[in-house]
Amino acid sequence: MNRDWQPLWLVPAVALVAPAAHGTQYLTTTQAQKLLFADASRFAEHPLTLTDAQKDAIRKLSGVRQRQDSQPVWSAMKDGERLGWFIVDDVVGKHEYITYAAALSPQGEVIGVEILNYRETHGGEVRQADWRANFAGKSLQDTLRLGRDIPNISGATLSCRNLTDGVRRLLALQQVALRDA
Amino acid sequence: MEGNKGNMMRRLLAGLTLPAALLAQSAHADENLFGYVAGAETLPKGSGELYQWVTSRDDKGQGTYHAINTKTELEYGVTDRFSTSASLKMQSIDTHGLIIDGYLPKAEKYGLRPSGVELGMKYNFLKPALDPIGLATYFSVNYDWLDPHSGQDKDTLSMELKLLAQKYFMEGRLIWVGNLGMESTYADRAEIDNLPAGFDWPTDPEMEIEFKTGTGLSYRFVDNWYIGAETVYETEFETEVGQERWSVFLGPTLHYASKKWWATLTWFKQVKGGGEMYAGQQDHDLHLVEKTEQEVRLKLGYNF
Repeated sequence: MNRDWQPLWLVPAVALVAPAAHGTQYLTTTQAQKLLFADASRFAEHPLTLTDAQKDAIRKLSGVRQRQDSQPVWSAMKDGERLGWFIVDDVVGKHEYITYAAALSPQGEVIGVEILNYRETHGGEVRQADWRANFAGKSLQDTLRLGRDIPNISGATLSCRNLTDGVRRLLALQQVALRDA
Repeated sequence: MEGNKGNMMRRLLAGLTLPAALLAQSAHADENLFGYVAGAETLPKGSGELYQWVTSRDDKGQGTYHAINTKTELEYGVTDRFSTSASLKMQSIDTHGLIIDGYLPKAEKYGLRPSGVELGMKYNFLKPALDPIGLATYFSVNYDWLDPHSGQDKDTLSMELKLLAQKYFMEGRLIWVGNLGMESTYADRAEIDNLPAGFDWPTDPEMEIEFKTGTGLSYRFVDNWYIGAETVYETEFETEVGQERWSVFLGPTLHYASKKWWATLTWFKQVKGGGEMYAGQQDHDLHLVEKTEQEVRLKLGYNF
């Protein structure tokens, strides 16, 4: 027991020297648009700059703060008809922002959600179709809360909560800023 | 093939760490944002984490005192709310020019050598990102054979129980944690030859009980990087002397995390202390018998 093991503590330290994980882009915006609106023939950019009053209204409706003044929005079109809205958004993950896209119907229901970027240690299941399917058909009339009508993924609770809150916020954004567009 | 390897590794880890559950343990599950206080989250079922801690303890106000403690820990998520861990602790010390009656009998110097083992477990009651506040309990059993203060041979068996609270603010960019804990220790010192005349070095077994509370706040200022501050109050009572010591440590913490690994660095300065003092101690506002003026702790974690 009295021998010095000077170099021993370095062993696990060396084992820890792993290359830094870089964020993986799973989908581009164009790919996500095609997945969420397969029938669309055209995506028309719809630049959106929110006023303070609109941001307040979004917070009041969704219970979530709208951080950004502008939001990337496209109108999905087919034969001159609007199929719905395609919105790209960022939410806070445990280490980095998570980029996702939501497809909303003109009536204010979620058509689908796609994850564009996810860089967290745990919770890669957020990309799986069965978890994302929990959002389909949800509107502001629904609870849309993690642990209630959206199931949690262990090890990624914060990311799941912020994604769920993000979708609820986008539904409110549509009602506040896109309803009459 | 990779999946089979992963499953084998997980079964091996489960085999290594599940016995820990029978005895209970003391490791801090999941990514550590702080050096000294712990959060309430646990590892997901089937996942593991390897930790390496290095703590440098320096300066008792007189003479030379420098000690390094390391802890290498493996943790495994048995369920989504319950994890176990096993650790090997090591220590090096270099002290001379200061003798403290009853505590620091002579100059000592050696490099890193095994000093103890620890088994722990953590159970999460409430999840910080799902419930209004996160809450977990952490229990550990430690067996040490080197005294962390003098570096001399000393067998100690201790059990620690902690309550860990955690709360997310600002969508998770600001994180608060609060800890409350108690540690009971049975200690038995080995005899030392050629002690100074009249030097008190009791070798009868003794019991100690320590209470500690701490809190920390950490803010993610850019992606992957957190900056924060933490503080810990500790007080210890012993069979012979009653309240032996108390101290408050406070310091800044820097944390970096990526997908697979993270690092945390904390500088912990003793800002106030009391209880027993050594003869000739100049600074009466610190406890320097068992504690030092400052500590620096680096933690590395790797997820698999």
